[in-house]
Amino acid sequence: MTAESPGRVEGNAWSIALSAHVAFLGAVNEVSASSRRVSSALSRLKAGDPGIPSVGNSIFVRYVDYGERQRQWIDAELAAATRMATAASKVEDPDMRLALLRLAGPRLEAAMMGSLLLAVWLDFLNLTDTALARHLQSVETLFMNMDRLQKMLEPTMTALSSLEPEQVEAAAQDVPALVGHLTSEFAALREAIRKGAEVLQKALALKEAMEALTLLSSLKFSLPRLLPRAGPATLGVGFMVGSNGVMLGTRMVVSAEWVEMMRQLVRAGILSVPAVSAAVRIQAGQVMMAEAHGELPRGVREALGDGPEVRGMHVTGKAGAGMAEPPRHHVMPKEFREWFEKRGFTGEMDIDQFCVRLEQAHHEAIHGGGDWKLGRIWPGEWNRMIMEVLGRTESRAGRMLTQNEILKIVAERMKAYYIPMNFIPWRGP
Amino acid sequence: MSDRHPFQGNWVARLYERVRERGYDSLTAFAEARPTASLVALAEELGPDDVAGVQVFKGLVAEAERSRRLTRLVRGQLVRELWACLPNGWPAVLDDANRFDVAHALGAWVTFTPETHKERADKAGDALLATPPHPGWRPLGPDDELLLTLLPDEEV
Repeated sequence: MTAESPGRVEGNAWSIALSAHVAFLGAVNEVSASSRRVSSALSRLKAGDPGIPSVGNSIFVRYVDYGERQRQWIDAELAAATRMATAASKVEDPDMRLALLRLAGPRLEAAMMGSLLLAVWLDFLNLTDTALARHLQSVETLFMNMDRLQKMLEPTMTALSSLEPEQVEAAAQDVPALVGHLTSEFAALREAIRKGAEVLQKALALKEAMEALTLLSSLKFSLPRLLPRAGPATLGVGFMVGSNGVMLGTRMVVSAEWVEMMRQLVRAGILSVPAVSAAVRIQAGQVMMAEAHGELPRGVREALGDGPEVRGMHVTGKAGAGMAEPPRHHVMPKEFREWFEKRGFTGEMDIDQFCVRLEQAHHEAIHGGGDWKLGRIWPGEWNRMIMEVLGRTESRAGRMLTQNEILKIVAERMKAYYIPMNFIPWRGP
Repeated sequence: MSDRHPFQGNWVARLYERVRERGYDSLTAFAEARPTASLVALAEELGPDDVAGVQVFKGLVAEAERSRRLTRLVRGQLVRELWACLPNGWPAVLDDANRFDVAHALGAWVTFTPETHKERADKAGDALLATPPHPGWRPLGPDDELLLTLLPDEEV
């Protein structure tokens, strides 16, 4: 399905929807697993003694709590994304099924990016914990440092948790650069701690602790100079797509299975190319160099599903400079919010989630204006029509329609009106 | 959106151009040659990028008004909805799922019925449910015997 032909189902629409669905659940599982790892690491940090819990009247606990709060919103997004995937699995129409998965896309994308950043935050917590436990740096210095880092992280985390698709996508693009900054910070902090240790003649004991720590770090591939065993600096080594996945030199960055999963999600318009590319670059450690704002090589992007039609699909409607954004329009009329709420359209399935952007001419035509010169007898006004068909069907059925039945009817009417099945959330009062 | 879009330009002229290209002198003739196809399928055949199902319906209503054959169009539209919602024909048992499919067909049909004929369509729907047709019933067009009984032509 392309943005140009919203109602036209390809013969293989079913299999596209199915593989996108499977990939979606796979990606949710992966991010959930990472979130669980972070969660237990945070609990360990809070319980461990000496270190963060005991030093300086527990003033560092707030940073563990900050991590915990991030993990909570990530888990909430994953839970909502899972519920939406469940709703999608009940929908017969493959276009509507894909539309629901696309609607859940920004949640998955935000959770993916958020969990990458959270892993970096955990690295800092671990390093700080080690320094505190061994008295390698002044409590005040470490505290100020964490405060600064939190401020660095916060705008992106806030944007990711905002649920505004445009904000999520913009933040996702900034994540590699941010991880790049944080990597330099990590390196600097590590170096400071190492020097402190030398003064205290604890260098030998520390070396092992540091290496153990850094091997587990999410930044390990970004820290080649600090960790010679991780291999040579990656500067100048090109990305390649091989049968095993995406390679950087001889090292595998992401597996072929992961690439395939992402390709399905990108092709279906569920995840954006910039977000998936950001994830690959962070995995590769390609975040510190000048190409922090650059793109992956074309071959890699294509393996991840990039292509002109995908770009067209994923334009989230940002109009050019000075151009007004086409108005957003509720597919399920907001005047009947309560009616839809009673039939299950609440939370992430709220009718505010189901808006479409219509060009002015189209919008007026649907509302009975524009070119509808024939429309005297039959008022083709969308809101009236959709409520009429839902109301009539419900009274004939003799019971409340289910969410799934409503979506089926809405999908059918959208096709008759040639409305692209690409939902965006409502913005405004 | 592409520059080609159903709601851009003179869509009525476009519609008739496509109908003539396919060898018909009216939209009604084109549609009646495909009596069980949905409006969306008709639109797709006329122009996958620039014709909408609702426009085909508008065109059909306008023609039927002129030729005073609206009731026939309404019967024809029920045929299309029945084929879309009940592909295996009228159900033998009205369990919950089948009842929804029947309700859906009737609900969509009356919604896509001109105001002047909604009441008659409603009554025809009542009659269908009160005295259900034989299982598997799937009318082939507006001349179906049962449909003619339920909604006889009045205009002619």
